[in-house]
Amino acid sequence: MDTGPALVSILRQGSYLIASIHTALDDSQMIRFQEDLIEQIGQRRSRGVIIDVAALDVLDSFGSKTLRNIGEMARLRGATTVIVGIQPDVAFAMVSLGMGTGSLYTALDLEEGLEYLDRNVRKDPGAVGTTSSSLS
Amino acid sequence: MDEDSRIDSQTEADGVTNEHHREDELLPQLVAHLREHRSKLREEWAHRIQDAHLLHAMTPQEMAVETKSVYDNYVEVLETGSVEALQDYARDLSERIIPRGVETQEVVGIVLLLRDVLARSLFEKYQRDFALLNRVLDAYEPAANRIANTVAVSFVDERERVIRQQQDAIRELSTPVLPVRERLLVLPIIGVLDSERARQLTEQLLAGIRTHRAKVVVMDITGAPDVDQTVANHLVQTVDASRLMGASVIITGLSPKIAQTLVTIGVDLSKMNTIGDLQGGLEEAERLLGYTVSRQDGSAR
Amino acid sequence: MVQRFVHSRVANEAVADDIVQETLVRMLVAVERVEPGILEPYAIVTARNLVASMWREQERHRRNQHRIVDLRGPDSPDESLLEQEDRGAVAEALGRLSERDRRTLVAHEVSGQDTQSLAEELGVTAGAVAAQLNRSRARLRVEYLLALEPGGSVTDRCRPVLFAMSSGDRRRQREVDAARHLLECALCEKLSQPLLARGQRSDDQVRIRIHADADIVLARQSAREVAARLEFPRTDLTVIATAVSEIARNIVRFTEGGEVVVELLEEPRRGVRIVARDTGPGIPDVEAALVDGYSTYHGLGLGLPGARRLMDEFAVVSEVGRGTTVTMTKWRQEG
Ligand SMILES: [Zn+2]
Repeated sequence: MDTGPALVSILRQGSYLIASIHTALDDSQMIRFQEDLIEQIGQRRSRGVIIDVAALDVLDSFGSKTLRNIGEMARLRGATTVIVGIQPDVAFAMVSLGMGTGSLYTALDLEEGLEYLDRNVRKDPGAVGTTSSSLS
Repeated sequence: MDEDSRIDSQTEADGVTNEHHREDELLPQLVAHLREHRSKLREEWAHRIQDAHLLHAMTPQEMAVETKSVYDNYVEVLETGSVEALQDYARDLSERIIPRGVETQEVVGIVLLLRDVLARSLFEKYQRDFALLNRVLDAYEPAANRIANTVAVSFVDERERVIRQQQDAIRELSTPVLPVRERLLVLPIIGVLDSERARQLTEQLLAGIRTHRAKVVVMDITGAPDVDQTVANHLVQTVDASRLMGASVIITGLSPKIAQTLVTIGVDLSKMNTIGDLQGGLEEAERLLGYTVSRQDGSAR
Repeated sequence: MVQRFVHSRVANEAVADDIVQETLVRMLVAVERVEPGILEPYAIVTARNLVASMWREQERHRRNQHRIVDLRGPDSPDESLLEQEDRGAVAEALGRLSERDRRTLVAHEVSGQDTQSLAEELGVTAGAVAAQLNRSRARLRVEYLLALEPGGSVTDRCRPVLFAMSSGDRRRQREVDAARHLLECALCEKLSQPLLARGQRSDDQVRIRIHADADIVLARQSAREVAARLEFPRTDLTVIATAVSEIARNIVRFTEGGEVVVELLEEPRRGVRIVARDTGPGIPDVEAALVDGYSTYHGLGLGLPGARRLMDEFAVVSEVGRGTTVTMTKWRQEG
């Protein structure tokens, strides 16, 4: 992102990508984050994606929708997405607004997210085709 | 010091022209008198408190300490005209004695008794000069009333604060988030749920999920007699918000009536994890935890 | 060139002080040397000069900053042209007051006559004189600013709005719907800057212009900060910020622009009120727009009902072809 590396970071850990949003993003920054992440999932053939949103003090309809879109696109590329770190007050505001993360899996924090991926993502390449075809 | 004779001689010597100056002198004289006779007056006051059966929650030793402080503060207010120090003391005293069941009328009572004891003493002292006595009482009474007022208001304020605190505590107790075992919270909902309580409940549960790193919550609503549509909406939101924090919610004790309300507001009960009773809910929770939480919203992977 | 220069000065908050009143007050020292008959013309001329010198004074403070944009020396031809403009503006402004208003103002500010004796002369109460003086000063400021913009297209709506801004009367501002006019009228938007800065209680009210994506974030963060002064619980702060985010996005997506005003309320209860205005196409059917899934505006339907669910009070007023105003309130839960 041309606005500098401080806004988000996308790190690779094995076959997973760990994307952290470090500060409030405006809509166009959010879109760019989505594009970057999807591109990297493809490039790195990631099987799992964790998006850490602990630093976000608001997840409004656009933010929630973008996370859902990411999950959807990642799924089409064979990766499972977990959202971690939604704060209690943010969770409350999201459901009051009438938004959720749809079918996306959410976990308390990074540790829980990794545990979820370890249990639910087949890491051997042979199983990848099966997983994605059963999901699509 | 022969104070009495000094004042008397002044009385005789004073003319009308000195009137103004003398009014200024009255309070300091009065304060000096009350300081000089403090042990005797305090003792008398303590007797009167006993006779009136006030403050029986206090031991004689405590009584001695407090009456001494109140007396000194009282005289200081008369002297300086500033109630601030007294206010602080009164608040502090209230804080100490409210938990022991001391009532407002007792506190007002002891201050009025002190006012009375001191007024009597002034009466005795100045009774020979009725005009002077009148002026002394004119100077004393407004100050004394102000003191009584300050103490009473401080006490009532403090009492209200304590009551508010207790109410908060009770409110929190009424929606306890119980960590039953690792990663498992139980939230028994007891009593009438209104919109505000439902909101607090949600906030406490969400905070509890993070604190205890809960993965499963059993929400038991057996004890909730009535759930209207607004509250039902809150329940659904609580389930959704918990899920956003990575915890599954099992609802137990759902009465047919509440189930009907949920359906009325458009909740798909098949998507809610509902179990008949708390025992069954806890078993399901253990199963989920043992099985590890690979299911969410019934969507198997 | 001059126009740009003037604008940069008028928009400066340091000018916000009641400049005309200030100059008139400073004339008091000269009053005894002047014959009664020529007091008024003298006042006008002196005021002009003082105003001009105040401009220069202000320029000195801003010199370094100013040089970045304009390297001309202080005595360039533009400067004297500007002075002339200022003088003319003050004279014109005074001339636009009613005879009675001007007389009273000059008698009070220049001759130093107190409100009590003015009241006796005019046969009204001292309070009425004070109110009249305040109105006259407010009007003078407006006329002065308008006189500095000879080319500006002034409509019937402009003067009442500017007067309401100038007198700092919030009720009057609401009555004439000043906020909306400022969105729609470039001239008043510009002129109201120095008026707004004047005596505004900036602590309990924040105004954020909404044009681009980044403004959405700014608006919701400002709303959170303002609301935090009332010690709302954290959850409520997030709820408020989320609602602001939704309505600010509507402005960016579907209108030419607008503003979000966040205001703290003390009456009837403590709370925070958010007003979002835009100059957009308007919503033909507000009722429908408040229902989930309303699609005419491709997503507008999500923001409005969502924000309504988050707030305690919610009202939408919309006029097709003109714009929409959303007013929403969150009350502080006491106890
Ligand atoms: Zn205008």
